[in-house]
Amino acid sequence: MTGAPEALGRRTSPWVLLLHTVTFRQARALVPAVLALGVTRGLGDGLGTVVALVVGITVLSLLGAAISWWRFSYTDGDSAVVVTRGLLSRSARTVPNDRIRGVEVEAPVLHRLLGLVRVRIDAAAGSVTSEEELVIDGVTRAEGDRLRHRLLTHAASAQDSEAGRHAADDPEEELLRFDYRWLVYAPLVGSYLAVPLAAGGALLRAAEELPDQFQPEFWSPDVSDTRIVVRLVVGALLLLILGSIIGSALVNWRFRLLRRGGALVAVRGLVTRRHTELDIDRIRGCTVSEGLGMRLVGAARVSALVTGLGDATRRGQVLPLGPVELARALSVELVDHPGPLHRHPPAARRRSIARGTVPGLLVTAAGGVLMATTGWWSLLAAGGALVLLGIPLGLARYDALGHVAGPRSFAMRSGWLVRSHTVLQDRAVVGWQVRQSLAQRRAGLVTVLACVGAGSGGYTARDMAADEVPEFAQAASGSWAATLTPYG
Amino acid sequence: MSAPPPAPVREPAWSLSRAAIGLWVTQAVLGTVVYGAIVAAAIVFVPADAGWAVPLLRWLGPAFVLGYAVVAIAIRPRLRYRVHRWEVTAEAVYTLTGWLTRTWTLVPISRIQTVDVNRGVFQQLFGLATVAVLTASSQGTVRVPHLEVDVARRVAEDLARRAELVRDEAT
Repeated sequence: MTGAPEALGRRTSPWVLLLHTVTFRQARALVPAVLALGVTRGLGDGLGTVVALVVGITVLSLLGAAISWWRFSYTDGDSAVVVTRGLLSRSARTVPNDRIRGVEVEAPVLHRLLGLVRVRIDAAAGSVTSEEELVIDGVTRAEGDRLRHRLLTHAASAQDSEAGRHAADDPEEELLRFDYRWLVYAPLVGSYLAVPLAAGGALLRAAEELPDQFQPEFWSPDVSDTRIVVRLVVGALLLLILGSIIGSALVNWRFRLLRRGGALVAVRGLVTRRHTELDIDRIRGCTVSEGLGMRLVGAARVSALVTGLGDATRRGQVLPLGPVELARALSVELVDHPGPLHRHPPAARRRSIARGTVPGLLVTAAGGVLMATTGWWSLLAAGGALVLLGIPLGLARYDALGHVAGPRSFAMRSGWLVRSHTVLQDRAVVGWQVRQSLAQRRAGLVTVLACVGAGSGGYTARDMAADEVPEFAQAASGSWAATLTPYG
Repeated sequence: MSAPPPAPVREPAWSLSRAAIGLWVTQAVLGTVVYGAIVAAAIVFVPADAGWAVPLLRWLGPAFVLGYAVVAIAIRPRLRYRVHRWEVTAEAVYTLTGWLTRTWTLVPISRIQTVDVNRGVFQQLFGLATVAVLTASSQGTVRVPHLEVDVARRVAEDLARRAELVRDEAT
């Protein structure tokens, strides 16, 4: 443990100075300004300028890191966590312990070299989705574990006076372990495919910012030769696939899901090791999502919907990627399933096809006008093709629709690009929103939104039969929803 | 127009304050003045022979302003008044908004987190206030616009007191 006695607040480890200097954490904001200044004043292309820039930025960085380390302290008292910082304007943020919803300990690669961790403390944000997070960067691993344990014990005992449920000696039960065979799914998942693309983009940008004489010679291929083009495309595809597999392996390295006392613990990552703890009492439901590509190979991902969890899509993940049977089994373990889904009425299929074809019809109309006035027909043809494609799209979207209300939970399913099947407990609902557009009114359909204080905040069942709504809402929440029932 | 199909859920019982019509008309008049000024400035400062679409736009601009004025001043306020409804029942707050797309929102009193009363500049002129009922969900917010100030205050106090009594910590 570092620094001052507890009454004065604890300090982070001085090693963060080194860490922040190396990563230019504070000076990062200055770099574009310095570059802009250099450009306007005519930057010499020589080696001297580069060295001067590097030294200057490093010194600035060290200075910034030193100041923020010097002025930063935190106290974890019996009732609240207080973080004090700031040079000119001192700010002290106080988060009462009973508002703490989750503590995440992460260890990026440089932190790990120095034996440090970063602790993120999530506070209940309610309906205000502001930056309700405290970050304590650079404490020792032991201190990080101590903080996490102490804060979560507090949070639990403040709520249900059943202290010590999070005791460190609670038995651990492993629910899931990442199987490396699942990595073959990665090239079919949009978010992992984006990883190599982003990396390539970042490399190119970095290369452009270098002064001329340091820029690598880009090999410019002869694009008139088809064989070379084919080889390039195949090579790029292979790189993309390889990159997505590596990316997914880095993020999900040694993923494990444990149950420890009253909490679910998810641990994962090779470069940055993340350790997320979810309070089981706060789990209100879960979503099984399957992307278009994932459905082809029978893969899925599972997120737990936890009340008051910030950055829910990333932190709530309890299975980042795996076979769909396993995903379903896990989701059943998290919440009771209400039974098989009910299909939506045939009118919903017609609405869905209409929705799918409207953009195509608009393009066709514009194309028709263009054809009549200028004789340019390709837009008309494109419009026709869009209309034809819209029909299977509408049908597929309709096929994804479904809802059901069971004794203690309800489920909704929708989406074609990413099909998500959400199961929520009845007690999760904090409100209903029923929407009916003009077209839906004629077709006797409505869109129902269940407002929930977890996950994305609301889950919709599109194009439900209008007369089913009051009954469904009541079955899926409670007697208070009887207000919706029409008179007579 | 044929008879509209029955509403999928019931209508909330109460309408807003009649003064809301005056407020909406005032806002529409101001909006018309602003649009009119923009169009007038465009006609004065953009030369008539500046480009291919300008002669057309010189006609379309005023036509748009005129159309907006008729709809926003003469038609929309009365329509809105007829459409917006609200109700506080024994267990929930219930509102209906929207004309073409209708939206019903229902929030149980046990899940209310905070109740706000807001008064904008124009609302103060007309003695009106908006009650906003917030829950743990970012999408589960109910707003009852344009109630008389004392009604709004009473409703907010009553809701806050009842929410305190039946507060459900499940969320």
